[in-house]
Amino acid sequence: MAEESYLTDDFLRQLVNVGEVDILVGLPTHNNAQTIGSIVQTIQSGILRGFPRERAVIINADGGSRDGTRELVTGVSIDDVRPASNLHALRTLHSISTEYPNSPSSGAALRTILAAAELLRAKACAVLSPNSANIEREWISKLLSPIYRDGFDLVTPTYRRHKFEGLLITNLVYPMTRALYGLRIREAYSPEFGFSGRLGSQFLGQHAWNDGTEGAGVELRFTLAAITGRNLICQSFLGEKMHVERHAADLVPALRETVGALFSALEPDFPVWSAVTHSQSLPTTGADHEVILEPLRVNRKRLREMFSSGVAELESVFQSILSLSTLAELKRIAALGEEEFHYPPELWVRTVYEFAASYRKSVISRDHIIQALAPLFRGRAFTFLVENRNASEDEVENNIEGLCLEFERLKPYLLQLWESRE
Amino acid sequence: MSLNRDVLWYKDAIVYQVHVRTFHDSNGDGIGDFQGLEEKLDYLQQLGINAIWLMPFFPSPLRDDGYDIADYNAVHSSYGTLEDFRKFLGSAHDRGIRVIIEMVLNHTSDQHPWFQESRSSPDNPRRDWYVWSDTDRRYKGVRIIFLDTETSNWAWDPISKSFYWHRFFSHQPDLNYDNPAVREQMWNVMKFWLEMGVDGFRLDAVPYLVEREGTNCENLPETHAVLKELRRKLDEQFPGRMLLAEANQWPADLRPYFGDGDEFHMAFHFPLMPRMFMGLKLEDRKPITEILQQTPEIPALCQWSLFLRNHDELTLEMVTDLERDYMYDSYAESKTMRLNLGIRRRLAPLLDNDRRRIELMNGMLMSLPGTPIIYYGDEIGMGDNINLGDRNGVRTPMQWDGGTNGGFSSAPLERLYSPLIQDPVYGYPAVNVLRQKASEHSLLNWMQRIVTVRKSTGVFGRGSIEFLYPANHRILAYVRRLGNEVVLVVNNLSSTAQAVELDLRRYKGNIPIEMFGGNMFPRVGDLPYLLTLGPYQFYWFRLRRV
Repeated sequence: MAEESYLTDDFLRQLVNVGEVDILVGLPTHNNAQTIGSIVQTIQSGILRGFPRERAVIINADGGSRDGTRELVTGVSIDDVRPASNLHALRTLHSISTEYPNSPSSGAALRTILAAAELLRAKACAVLSPNSANIEREWISKLLSPIYRDGFDLVTPTYRRHKFEGLLITNLVYPMTRALYGLRIREAYSPEFGFSGRLGSQFLGQHAWNDGTEGAGVELRFTLAAITGRNLICQSFLGEKMHVERHAADLVPALRETVGALFSALEPDFPVWSAVTHSQSLPTTGADHEVILEPLRVNRKRLREMFSSGVAELESVFQSILSLSTLAELKRIAALGEEEFHYPPELWVRTVYEFAASYRKSVISRDHIIQALAPLFRGRAFTFLVENRNASEDEVENNIEGLCLEFERLKPYLLQLWESRE
Repeated sequence: MSLNRDVLWYKDAIVYQVHVRTFHDSNGDGIGDFQGLEEKLDYLQQLGINAIWLMPFFPSPLRDDGYDIADYNAVHSSYGTLEDFRKFLGSAHDRGIRVIIEMVLNHTSDQHPWFQESRSSPDNPRRDWYVWSDTDRRYKGVRIIFLDTETSNWAWDPISKSFYWHRFFSHQPDLNYDNPAVREQMWNVMKFWLEMGVDGFRLDAVPYLVEREGTNCENLPETHAVLKELRRKLDEQFPGRMLLAEANQWPADLRPYFGDGDEFHMAFHFPLMPRMFMGLKLEDRKPITEILQQTPEIPALCQWSLFLRNHDELTLEMVTDLERDYMYDSYAESKTMRLNLGIRRRLAPLLDNDRRRIELMNGMLMSLPGTPIIYYGDEIGMGDNINLGDRNGVRTPMQWDGGTNGGFSSAPLERLYSPLIQDPVYGYPAVNVLRQKASEHSLLNWMQRIVTVRKSTGVFGRGSIEFLYPANHRILAYVRRLGNEVVLVVNNLSSTAQAVELDLRRYKGNIPIEMFGGNMFPRVGDLPYLLTLGPYQFYWFRLRRV
């Protein structure tokens, strides 16, 4: 119960007033005043619809908003929701808010939510992102029902995405977690997920919150912790995912959050993933994926150029990270023209695995290793875009499945690299 | 002791509801009677109640527990004579206990001579005393109240070969209040009892007196006009007597029954009762504060009448579908416990015989704004018998002692009007007055104590209420105020201990004095007033500036 000192007195007082709950919805925010009001209303509506009898609370963990986000969260009344939705609340539905210390971070926000969930002895919890522009009230049931009613410990979402959206997920996070940890979790790194109070407490107690990563990729770490803890996991289809705003040039931070989190988990999780020999699918409510095929303008040329220049500029770095053959192959394709350029799955998987092994060995600064992956990922992204330019939904899925199988096929190579250090 | 002369006596009353048949049998015929009831007046006086509400005791075929009256000006022979009633009434008054009797205005029994005459011929002078029709298609869409037994509000009369209107059982034809002769006759009936000395009437099923095509035939202006006429006559001829409305309606629909203080003195607050049970189960004050927020102001001379349980099912008509489902699942898991839109159970079994919850519910009954009504037997935690049909399971004989027939009657077992409760938990050997009188900490003695404390101040009967809304939703807190007298009530609806901070800055400098023990609590200051309460605990504090 050391978390108590981490929480402010005012927040603890609010928690005392809420008391034990069945359902908890966590909402990490930072300057989300534009959308937060309607999101809280949607959540309230979802709770009333899906869990009319249960004791419920919405917990807002705020990273120091200066635009009145917190006031909006606590100011939304259930009566604002009720007339339009024809819903009636049997119980008091609390919305409480706290500001966690230090700068905005998803790790600190999740830690606050988990601590609250533990203190309130919440049975089923969900976290939603205020950056999702189209949260629907059905999401509440979709994320919480499998926990509350069916005994699952973690519900990860699946979305309807554009075929070129989430390339880091489709080309690295999904296939690599699937190959290593053995579960075909489409969105292991998502700001929306549901979890049991038990899993929340487990993670709260075991996770190294002060490891210097500022909580980067904590959602992925949470998923991996659920897997290694042998918790019951399922997926739930939430529909289309729309973002409030998009940041175009945030690949390196994204790599830190995803690949950094994944690579850093590999060492402690070695006993688990090294024993996994194949992957299996998960119970899934609704589709396990859906693809939008509308044409999309992407500056592919720029991606390839950044790949080629990156390979040239970072050659000395790559010499520390990659095998001679892999580096040679990369240099070869970097010299190809746009029409001939192709970053094949096998080479990509070898690249990623060699990066993972080097990360473990800390051949150079770990953060530099992650940064060095950025140009190579752009090359792989270029190939994915070209391959799937005119692909149907099934063809896109087949290509992703092919990459996954390549990650699984080459897993012994990673084990070999891993064990070579021993 | 004699009756106080305050015309607002009903505001300070603590009412005990009893059916004479159920209370005490003086002549050994297996049925309670007025002489038996009179013999038990000392018990009621000791309990502290100061009004008795008697359920129907008139001659009746008893197909609806006496609500099917066959003669309004007499006493059912099983219960005694008019003289017995008169004697009981005098004895009650001698003890400072007022007597409210039931008056069923809406309908009679089909055995009533009026109906027999009415059905005998279309030309009979009393034909128009009831609502007849050649078709059963009039007043289409009007809801059926007894859903479990009736399929229509019209019944075919084979004698007069036409349909008659009935809102309740088909053997209870509705009187026709469009007929002035009916209105006059019913006032004469009331006058008969008022002249004898009764202090008030509980008027049964009042929303349904008048029918009009194209309406739901409930709460019509014409019905209110009938009731206002009765009230006018009552005030003119019998000042200080009281009318209590039985109208199971939403608060906004109930409000007109008070008129401008010229219709009913009191009305049951039906929607509050199920929400008290709901709040307790949910451990959340929301249902209670929500319904009381929706409750309109009533004229100064009027009063709500509050109850936890009564002779009927715990009615769930005035709740939403969601709430009704929750109540069924929470309090009537077995379908045999359900009747119509309600739950046919007594207080103690509803609350799992949990003494803390029984006390808390009674604490709220006694401290929320209104006149509390205690249903006979609930003061000792009597149980019910769901195997008896209709609502008879909550109308079993009073349990006086552990001896023969629970001290109710000396008649052979098979002659009792109803079997006694005999199960090991609630049966008369375990739950009875004699045993509880002997135990200092019995429920009966606790009830006696809370009634005494309630009567120690006028604030509960006549004071205003201001809800406090502490952040802890498990706490229901309110301040009752009458002049300079201020009482703070804090109820913990939760099964677990709770802490609560109350904003009492308005009462800064006051010393809370706990009303049951008389102990002082720390003085109210600027900071939120912190209290901790055990599971289902409640406090009544008199706030005193010393």
